[in-house]
Amino acid sequence: MDVSQYLEIFLDETNEHLQSLNTQILALEQDPENMDTINEIFRAAHSLKGMAGTMGYKRMQTLTHDMENVFSEVRNGNIKVNADMIDVLFQCLDALEEYNTTIRESSDEGTNDNSALIKRLNDIMNGGSGGGEAPAAKEAAPAAEAAKAPAETGSGFQKMKLNENQQSVLTEAIKEGKKVFGLTVKVQESCILKAARAFLVFKAVEETSEIIVSEPSSQDIEDEKFDLSFSLIIVSEAELGEVLTAARGVSEIEDVSGTVLELDDVNGKGAAEEPSLAAETASAAPAESSAPAADTHEATPPAATQPAVHNQAPAQTNSPAAKKATNKPVVNRTVRVDIEKLDTLMNLVSELIIAKNSLVSASAMSGNSSQAVNEQIEYLESVTTSLHESVMKVRMVPIESTVNKFPRMVRDLQKKLGKKMELYMSGEETELDRTVVDQIGDPLMHLLRNSADHGLESAEVRKERGKPEVGSIFLDAYQDGNNVVIEVRDDGNGIDTEAVKNKAIERGVITPEQGEAMSEKEIIGLLFNAGFSTAKVVSDVSGRGVGLDVVKSMIESLSGEVEVKSKLGEGSTWTIRLPLTLAIIQALMVEIGDEKYAIALGSIQTIEDIPPEDVKLVQAKEVIQLRDLVIPLIRLNEILDVPSKKDPEDNLVVVVVKKGDKMAGLVVDELIGQQEIVIKSLGKYISKCKIISGATVLGDGEVALILDANALI
Amino acid sequence: MSDVKEVLDELRPVGETTQFIVIRLGDEQYGIDIKYIDNIVRMQHITRVPKVDDYLKGVINLRGEVIPVMSIRIKMGLEPDVETKSSRIIILKLEQQGTIGVIVDEVKEVVTLENERIEKVAYDSKDEKSNFLCGVGKSDGGLISLLDLNAVVLENV
Repeated sequence: MDVSQYLEIFLDETNEHLQSLNTQILALEQDPENMDTINEIFRAAHSLKGMAGTMGYKRMQTLTHDMENVFSEVRNGNIKVNADMIDVLFQCLDALEEYNTTIRESSDEGTNDNSALIKRLNDIMNGGSGGGEAPAAKEAAPAAEAAKAPAETGSGFQKMKLNENQQSVLTEAIKEGKKVFGLTVKVQESCILKAARAFLVFKAVEETSEIIVSEPSSQDIEDEKFDLSFSLIIVSEAELGEVLTAARGVSEIEDVSGTVLELDDVNGKGAAEEPSLAAETASAAPAESSAPAADTHEATPPAATQPAVHNQAPAQTNSPAAKKATNKPVVNRTVRVDIEKLDTLMNLVSELIIAKNSLVSASAMSGNSSQAVNEQIEYLESVTTSLHESVMKVRMVPIESTVNKFPRMVRDLQKKLGKKMELYMSGEETELDRTVVDQIGDPLMHLLRNSADHGLESAEVRKERGKPEVGSIFLDAYQDGNNVVIEVRDDGNGIDTEAVKNKAIERGVITPEQGEAMSEKEIIGLLFNAGFSTAKVVSDVSGRGVGLDVVKSMIESLSGEVEVKSKLGEGSTWTIRLPLTLAIIQALMVEIGDEKYAIALGSIQTIEDIPPEDVKLVQAKEVIQLRDLVIPLIRLNEILDVPSKKDPEDNLVVVVVKKGDKMAGLVVDELIGQQEIVIKSLGKYISKCKIISGATVLGDGEVALILDANALI
Repeated sequence: MSDVKEVLDELRPVGETTQFIVIRLGDEQYGIDIKYIDNIVRMQHITRVPKVDDYLKGVINLRGEVIPVMSIRIKMGLEPDVETKSSRIIILKLEQQGTIGVIVDEVKEVVTLENERIEKVAYDSKDEKSNFLCGVGKSDGGLISLLDLNAVVLENV
C-alpha cells in the first residue's frame, strides 16, 4: 500500500499524540492514581502504535507496543507508577520524537532500535507484575464479566411476567404444536425514531407469528417509552431463525436475540419470582443468546467515537476520587489547512481592503456621491471588516501548542540543574496569529531557562533567605487590547545590577564612567546586548552568551517588545508584548508638513489640544503636563525632517502614545482620521529607518509610512 | 571594404547575445541587462522615507506592493534628478536586494549585443563612475556603458 500521501497527516498526528503523552505523563507524575490519565495515555500510545504499524514503521511500532503494554499493566493495577518508570517513559517519548524527526527528514524511521529502552520497559513489566499469574487472573476477570453481560442482555424476555390469560394462550399454543419464542430486540443507540423501528420489527415478526405479549406494552413502545431494548413473546409456526432474521432485517436494529420457550418456561413465568427460573435461564440462555450478545458487545465500541478503552474506564475506576477527571477534550470538527493557503487568503483580503479604501476616497473626491452609493460603500466597509476579522480568527491559534512542552522542559531542567522548581502556567488558551505562535516558542524557552538557571537560587540559598525551597516560575499569557502579553516571572534572585555593570565594564561593553551614569533600567538593558552572559559557569542550559539578544531581536521581528522588571532578592519579570495581528491594523492618519503618516491606534492613549504656552522645558527638553503626568514632547516634524506647515502660535495637536510605562506626546500638524490599514514591509533595502515600522497604500494609491511609536519613545 | 566586413559578420558564428535597455542619465547612455528588469513605469509620487541615505528617494506603490526607489544619479555622484516628461522608474528584480526602482532620465531603446563585443572596463579608482560599470558595449549607435547593477544598488556602508 502506498502510504506516502498520508505521511504529512501521520507526522502531524504523531506530534499531537506525543504532545498529549508528554502532558499526560507529567500529570501522572503528580497524580499516579488517576485512572483517567492512565487511560488517556494508554489510548494515545495505542493510536501511535496503530498509526506506526499502518505506515510500516516497525521500530516505532515495537516501542509503542511495549509502552502500551506497560500502561495496560498499570491500568489493570498490576504495577504502580513510580518515578523511575516516568523517567523511562519520558525517554521513550524522546526516542519516539527522534523517530518522528527522522521520518520527517527522510520518510524513513532510521535504524535505531532503542533496544535498551525496550528492555527497560520489559523490566518494568516483569518487575512490577509480581509473577505472571496476576495478569492471567485479571484477564479472567473481564472474561467473566463479559460472560455475565450477555446473560443479562439475553434475559430481557425472561424477566417478563405473564398473566393467567396469556399463560393459557401460550400453553394452548404449545400443546397445539406451535412454537413459543422469547425475543429481545435492541435498537441502536444512534437510532432517532425508535418507535418507528419498533413498529417495523413488530410488523416483520407478525408476518410469521402472533405477538402474545410485549414488554414494555405495545402502547408504551409506540410512545417511545422504552430505553434501547424491548422484549416480545410470540407464538409462531416458523422456526426461531427465520423470525430472528426477519426482525434483524429492520435497519437501525442493533441485535435481536431469541430463544425457544418450553411449557415449563411459560408456566414458570406465571409465578412471581421462582428461583428455578433464574437457574433455567442461565442454562438456556447461553445456548442461543450468548453468540449474538457477544456480537453486541463487540459492535458497541466502533459505534462510539472513542476507542474501547474509554468505555471501560468508568467500570474500572473504583474510587470516586479518581474520577474528578481531567476534562475530556471536546472533539472539534476541524479541517487542516496549509498555512500558505491562509496567507494567500489574507493577502487577498488586504487587497480588497485597499480597493475598498480607494473606492471610499474616490467617492469622496467626486463630491457628487449619492446617498445610495454611500450606503453601499458603508455596507462594503462592514463586510470587508468582518471578512478581515474572520480570516484573522482563522489564523489564530492558542499558544497552548507552543507552551505545552514547557512543563516537561522545566522538569528536565530541574534534574539537570539540581534545583527544585515548579512551573505554573496560565492563559494557555490565549490566541495569537499562527506565525507568531510558531516563532514565540524559542524566545520563551530562552527566558524560562534563564529564569531556571540564573533566576532561581539553589534550595539551600532559598532556605537561608526564608523562601520556600521549591522555586516558582510563572508563565502567564493574556490579551491586553490589541496586544497579547506573555509574562515569564520567577521568585528567584532577581537581577544583580552591580554584577551586570561590572561584567559590562569588564567586557568592554561600557566604560566605567558610563557605568556610573547609568540608571538601573539602562543597566538591565545591557543584558540584551549580544555576547553578554553573567552566569559564572558556562552551563549547557544557558550562559553561552547568545540568548537575550536573540530573544530581543526575535520578538522585535514579530513587531513585539520585551521588558524586564526585577527586584534584587525577590525575582524578575520578563514581559513580552506582541501585536494580535501582523497584517491589518486600525491606525490614526496624521499629517506632518505635506506628508501623511499612520500611527497604530493600539499605542495611542489620548489626543490633546495644547496651547503653546503650556509647553514647559525640563532639562532643556519640551514637556507637557497632563493630569499630573509629565509627558515629554516629540516634535515629529523635526524628527522626520519635514517643515511644519503650522503657525507656532497655534495650539499644538499632540498624540499621546504609550509604551509600557513610558509615555510621549507626538506633535503633528493635522489629524486626518481613523482608518484600517494594511501593513506592507518597506523591504530590507530600507530597513535602516528605525522609526518607520512599515508602509501602507492609501485609498488614492499613495504610500503612507507607519510610525513606530515604540521606537520614538 | 564595408561589404567585406558585412560578409565577415555574417560568417562569424552567432555567439551568445545579451539584451540591454539603453537609458539616459544626463548626457550619457547606459545599458541595463534586460534580465533584471521587471517593469518600467512613469514617474509618480514618491513617498519620502526619513532618516535614510540621500540616494534612496522613498517608496512607491506598484500595484499594491510597496517598492523602494533610488536615484542612480545621486548614487553615482551626479547632479540630482530633474523630473521631466521622459523620466521613468525602472523596476529591477535582483536576487539579493529584491525589487527596487531606479530613476532614469529617459528610456531609449533595446539593443542586442553579442557578448564578445562587450569589453570589460579597467577599474579606475579616480573615476567614481567606473565603480558602477561592468563593461562597455559597442553598438551601431556608439558606445554604451553597461551598469553593474549590484554595485549600483549596493548599500553604502
